[in-house]
Amino acid sequence: MTLTVAATVGALFALGTFLLLREDLVKVVWGLAIISQAANVYLIGMGGIVEGTAETVPVLATTHEPFPETVDPVVQALVLTAIVISFGMTAFALTLSYRAYQENESINVTEWEQ
Amino acid sequence: MTSWLAIAPVLVAVVTGTVALLVRSRPRLQRAVNVAGTLSYAAVVGYLAWRVVFAADGGGVMYQLGGWEAPFGIILVADALSAFMLVLTAIVAVYAVVFSGQFIDEQNQRVYYYPLFQFLLLGATGAILTGDLFNLFVWFEVMLMASYVFVAFYGNAQHTAAAVRYVVLNIVGSALMLLGVGGLYAATGTLNMADMAVQLSAPGAVTEPVVGLSALIFVTFSLKAGLAPFQFWVPSAYRATPLPVVAVFAGATKKVGIYAIIRLYFTIFGNADVSATVPAVAGDTALAFLAPVLLVMGLASVLVGGFGAVSRDSLEELLAYSSIGQIGFIAVAVAVAAATTAAELRHLGIFAGLVFALHHAVSKGLLFLSTAVIRDMAGTTKLSELGGLGDRSPLFASVFLVGGLSLVGIPPLAGFFGKLFVFDAATRQFAAATGDSTATAVAVLTLGILFVGAVLTILYATRAWIGTFWGSQTERIQTGVIHDGQVAVLATLAIVVLAIGVGFEPVYQFADAASEAALDTDGYIEIVGPGGESR
Repeated sequence: MTLTVAATVGALFALGTFLLLREDLVKVVWGLAIISQAANVYLIGMGGIVEGTAETVPVLATTHEPFPETVDPVVQALVLTAIVISFGMTAFALTLSYRAYQENESINVTEWEQ
Repeated sequence: MTSWLAIAPVLVAVVTGTVALLVRSRPRLQRAVNVAGTLSYAAVVGYLAWRVVFAADGGGVMYQLGGWEAPFGIILVADALSAFMLVLTAIVAVYAVVFSGQFIDEQNQRVYYYPLFQFLLLGATGAILTGDLFNLFVWFEVMLMASYVFVAFYGNAQHTAAAVRYVVLNIVGSALMLLGVGGLYAATGTLNMADMAVQLSAPGAVTEPVVGLSALIFVTFSLKAGLAPFQFWVPSAYRATPLPVVAVFAGATKKVGIYAIIRLYFTIFGNADVSATVPAVAGDTALAFLAPVLLVMGLASVLVGGFGAVSRDSLEELLAYSSIGQIGFIAVAVAVAAATTAAELRHLGIFAGLVFALHHAVSKGLLFLSTAVIRDMAGTTKLSELGGLGDRSPLFASVFLVGGLSLVGIPPLAGFFGKLFVFDAATRQFAAATGDSTATAVAVLTLGILFVGAVLTILYATRAWIGTFWGSQTERIQTGVIHDGQVAVLATLAIVVLAIGVGFEPVYQFADAASEAALDTDGYIEIVGPGGESR
């Protein structure tokens, strides 16, 4: 499972970085969104994905083995916060992109004035 | 109990920002609310500083949000270091908000200017007060979101382009910080800063991951502080942002990056032994890894900022580059503190950085606001289109002169002590390096570049002064109207710059206590008391 998460994080960062370096502003914003999500997946991975116990997941006290694999609740809370922030950021970045497109009359960032 | 003091500045900023949103259909009331709110912010911060630093029974205070005990809940901690940074922020904020009322167009003031200003202040305040690493990330985001809107505020081609670059850069920076925070949580099992210090200094603690992971966070902090090689966003963002807000950017939010570096590396990681050695740097803590990196970045900033400022042709770009260089001076002082193991020199390095930060906040704030006066009057800040302003308004000329001389470091202005202590720290590092040829070479190089930086400061300050105030009056200067209200506000700020230098004794005590607190890991842990008796 950890290996899967690690591979996903790597792939997402690679894709995000690739998009970030495009000339098309919309692709850049896509790149930002993907990099933010990559950081979130990474956080999940850093919390450790292990078989749950009744101590870490209280609801498991009333069920039977085998327990499912769960993630540290603290990082879940962190990711929830980070998702909300990156959601707001993406919305703002898109709005700003539209305005910048209108003002600069191009969606290609290399054609903008300095 | 005075624990509420740690949350009071945050509450004042939240309430003022919210009320400003609610009364936005009544511009005059909104402006009055903001000035009153920012003044009460300054009053609360002043009381906090007095309670924490100067009162006989003073000491750091801690507030648990929602009553959840550390290390599980989020806490706000106000010690002398936080108090020092808050006071610096409050001074700049008060002047910026009062000045905004006279500088920003009525129409523009109604476009959420004041609520955004308060939320910018809120983000900086929270970042300075928080005692939780992830919460620091959140406060940074609060601060950034407001600053994004300010960079795009005027909304033309140049401003939106600058804003897009600024947003992209900072979102990537935030993602990097998130990686660092997540990694540190995995390595130490806690997010509470004090608890992290406890875990890392415990015998047998695994400290090696901290070096690499904190480097990720360090990148984000230096991006905020605008240290080379992360300085490239500064000139275009400062050119786009409304000038009173630039004063806050340069004066306060950049310093939050410096504060975070000091807090994290010195207070939190300062006690963590790392079993690896760095060439030419004494000590075996995470600080030994910070020292060479921060030194190179600081020296590079001094040079990039200095040479950039000398070659720019508009006043605000000149000042933007100048503030890159000045942040470099702070970083060099902090790097000297990180490189040494001698307690006295380490204390002096932090102290020098803090005094310089205070000087830079007020002096650069004064100069940016003066630039706003010129922009308002002449409609431009290009040095080639200015000249002869000295004859038009001798009072304004003397205000600008105070800011410029303070930047150069002429006694008895605030800048003199800033430069004095930075050079003092660098000289002592040289004196301490006897016998070690590498360390001596590094110290000589440091002193040399600092000297070049100081000379460049004299050059560009003179250039700004001559280009703007001397010479024959251009047409724009002859026809422009100087707003007496703006100049009056700035005159009081010039007096503050002078007062910090003349009455340096309490400032000295305050900065001394702040650098003491920055290095006192045990004191910080004691204020927070993670886990109470159970640990």
